[in-house]
Amino acid sequence: MASNLGLICLSLALLTSIFLILSFTKHAIFKTDLNYKNFYFSFKISFFLILLSFIFLIIAFIFSDFSILAVYENSHTDKPLFYKISGTWGNHEGSMLLFILVISLYGFLFILFSKNLSPDLKSVTIFFQSIIQIIFLIFLIFTSNPFEKILPVPNQGLGLNPILQDPLLALHPPFLYLGYVGFSLLFSLLLAALVINQYDSKWASIAKRWIFLPWTFLTFGIGLGSFWAYYELGWGGYWFWDPVENASLMPWIASTALLHSILVMEKAKKLFNWTAILAILTFVLSLFGTFLVRSGILNSVHAFANDPSRGFFILIIISGLTFAAFVIFILKSSKEEKNNQSYIFLSREFSILVNNYLLIFALVVVIIGTTYPIILSVLTSESISVGPNYYNSILAPFIFIFLILMAMGPYLKWGKNFFISIKYRFLNFLLGSIFITALLSFVLHNYDIIFWLGISCSLYLLISIIYEAYYLRFSNLNFGRLFSHAGFGLLIFAITLNHFFSKEFTAKIPIGESATYENFKITFVKSSSTKEKNYDELFGYYEVTKGNSTIPLKPSIRKYHQPEQFTAETSIKNKWFSDFYLAMDYSKDPSSGIGIRFYFNYLVALIWASFVLIILGGFLAFIQRKNEKSI
Amino acid sequence: MKLFTYIFFLIFFTQSAISSSDREIEIYKNIRCLVCQGQSLNDSNSDFANDLKKIIKDKIDQNETDKQIYKYLVDRFGDWILFDPPVKITTIFLWIIPLLVLISGFYVLYKKVSFIKNRDD
Amino acid sequence: MKNQFKILILALVFFIFVLTFYFALGTNNKNNTQVMVSKKLPRIELTSLYEEEKKISFPKINFKNYYIINIWASWCVPCRDEHPFLMKLANENKVKIFGINYKDSKMNALTFLKELGNPFYEIGIDSNGQNSIELGAYGVPETYLIDNNGIIVLKHVGPINKDMYQKILDKIK
Repeated sequence: MASNLGLICLSLALLTSIFLILSFTKHAIFKTDLNYKNFYFSFKISFFLILLSFIFLIIAFIFSDFSILAVYENSHTDKPLFYKISGTWGNHEGSMLLFILVISLYGFLFILFSKNLSPDLKSVTIFFQSIIQIIFLIFLIFTSNPFEKILPVPNQGLGLNPILQDPLLALHPPFLYLGYVGFSLLFSLLLAALVINQYDSKWASIAKRWIFLPWTFLTFGIGLGSFWAYYELGWGGYWFWDPVENASLMPWIASTALLHSILVMEKAKKLFNWTAILAILTFVLSLFGTFLVRSGILNSVHAFANDPSRGFFILIIISGLTFAAFVIFILKSSKEEKNNQSYIFLSREFSILVNNYLLIFALVVVIIGTTYPIILSVLTSESISVGPNYYNSILAPFIFIFLILMAMGPYLKWGKNFFISIKYRFLNFLLGSIFITALLSFVLHNYDIIFWLGISCSLYLLISIIYEAYYLRFSNLNFGRLFSHAGFGLLIFAITLNHFFSKEFTAKIPIGESATYENFKITFVKSSSTKEKNYDELFGYYEVTKGNSTIPLKPSIRKYHQPEQFTAETSIKNKWFSDFYLAMDYSKDPSSGIGIRFYFNYLVALIWASFVLIILGGFLAFIQRKNEKSI
Repeated sequence: MKLFTYIFFLIFFTQSAISSSDREIEIYKNIRCLVCQGQSLNDSNSDFANDLKKIIKDKIDQNETDKQIYKYLVDRFGDWILFDPPVKITTIFLWIIPLLVLISGFYVLYKKVSFIKNRDD
Repeated sequence: MKNQFKILILALVFFIFVLTFYFALGTNNKNNTQVMVSKKLPRIELTSLYEEEKKISFPKINFKNYYIINIWASWCVPCRDEHPFLMKLANENKVKIFGINYKDSKMNALTFLKELGNPFYEIGIDSNGQNSIELGAYGVPETYLIDNNGIIVLKHVGPINKDMYQKILDKIK
């Protein structure tokens, strides 16, 4: 029942969207009047239909309607309710429906919050957004129908991977989609402006918030994924340069460059063409990431339902949309921008130009690292891997330069070289950061050059921000920039310390025995086991002693029943922002003892705190209306 | 059942604790578990990973260098097993392309910058 | 015109992009299983399954023109699928097959052979899997075709299928 209604809603949404396109096309070609109210109303209808369809799918999962193939393949009556619901988007078809819902949602929000926009710009934007909506609806209904039936109706579902039964992971896709799928609206807004020749600095002011909103969600989604990987996967790390992680990082880097270049477009009336390219690139990278992850091309921990045939369709969609967008750009791009446009050295716009230069470099490195193995295997059938060392070693030096620029840039002025006047200020920041770094270096006994660079550069940024806040007497501050930049400074600061002072060791400890590593002692006290509804669990009671304190930890191994799978549950205790982290290994050979992996993750809580700051900054930038006071 | 086996062995077979050294962990992190999805030997619990870790540990005990151990693995399993990409003609673009971007971007900056004599406000 | 030229270049770029990733969808992005081909088989020594004192060592030099090494186990389901091909190769006396029994118990191995037939000329035990790793194998089943100089001529990961069977026949003619 729900399945039929769901499919009907989707089909109606498709028809409504097609109607939207046709009526707009008629208006555009024959210059007849467009009833704007009805036009936007129709789009809102399409949004509600898609939303309804999504709700029907959720209902089907809640009530374990196994007549629907997606429910059968991905759910089970024994699953807790929360995971039944999140199972809706834990599969390809359901997540594609969520994907389309977000496309439609952003169009809906755009209609609501653009009351004072020029009617042409507003309607053409919705026109383009409807096209994107139609393309994906057709893809969904004809190749990935979430309401596809199965006969005869099975009694029980095939269950869901226990690793996916986690609250954080359940939230991860929705936030990621609200992020990178949200850039679809900016994409439409850009094409609209190009087509009707309203692409100017006024457009930049309007478009800003449609970058900040998805950017904030995307940052949150990436942070959530990183946080989940740390807590759930049990290997003590938070970023692995895994291809699927990179797939979400690529649009993030592009959109970060974009939200800076659009400021130049707004304030200095430059970088028009470049901003347009970035806007297209951001959405294209979002789609490309979707393609990489779902097509079966990548080999990673994030194993989705891999289906090369669907991958091909997504490939065609991406290429078509991108090609069309670039054709519009080529035909309609700003001819006003003369080639001899120059940027005054050490002006604000120049610093953002350098910012974009470095960000694009980082983007290229991530794209190359992720796609090179794929391309190489097509060309030569050689297989190589590109692991974390590649990215870290190439990008690390640029992080330091980037931090320093982030500190100095906001102090520069638009249209002139203001640096000379404030160079002593920068010198003071430098002295301050070097002093504190030297102090830390001495106290912590670390004299490594990377340590020095990481700490001093991030402190340089943090000091510059604190000074700015103090100088302006904490009023009329650009909170968006301050929080997000401070968050980034704190992030690099925390990562540097975490890198140098974390400890890791693995051991096999028999019951009643201990193992020591540096100043840690780990004792295996006892074990116990329990039986739950869908798994058995073996607990290990350990005590970790460091100096005077003893921390009890209780990791476990779970044996799930449906499907049969082992997982290791980590035990983590936080003390003074650092984590004591223990995981047990399951092995087929219990006679040699149970293996444990122990991590002391130094100041890891600061890393999560810095993510929160960055996200807060993005949110504040989104809601900010007045202009910053210059310093 | 399996859990009982664990507890049984834990109680009746006492040995001293065995732990992995820093160097071992560093090597394990650099090697891909071939039967897993993207995990390193260090992160994996599979039979293959454990077998390979044992072999590598033996080699370390026999004073083999990192290079020798990696060569052993690459000879048998190909470049894919190492997370660090090899530097050869077919992979050189991994570094050349970013370098080209760096250089051409810098050139663009250079062309666009102008040095006006500074006049205060 | 300048614009048309740009669009043409753009179209070309996209065409190449789509083509590359289309082929990528088809290729196997996992390990290159042919790394050991044309290399000399590494030296290993195994204990015979039947007699504890007997040792079987590889490679065998000047032992017929070709021989096969097959890594198998009684608990391995695809090994059952490929077994008929091994029986065919052995019975039609085309080539000698050495078996490496991987992480198995003697009893289960013998039961397996009794049930499905024994195509093996000799069988060695690899109880901890390390000898197989030495040969560049990482699971079961895996099959090697080796020439009289000890060079690996063919290597197959997974159960032998019709294609592989034919390839072996073609080589040993």
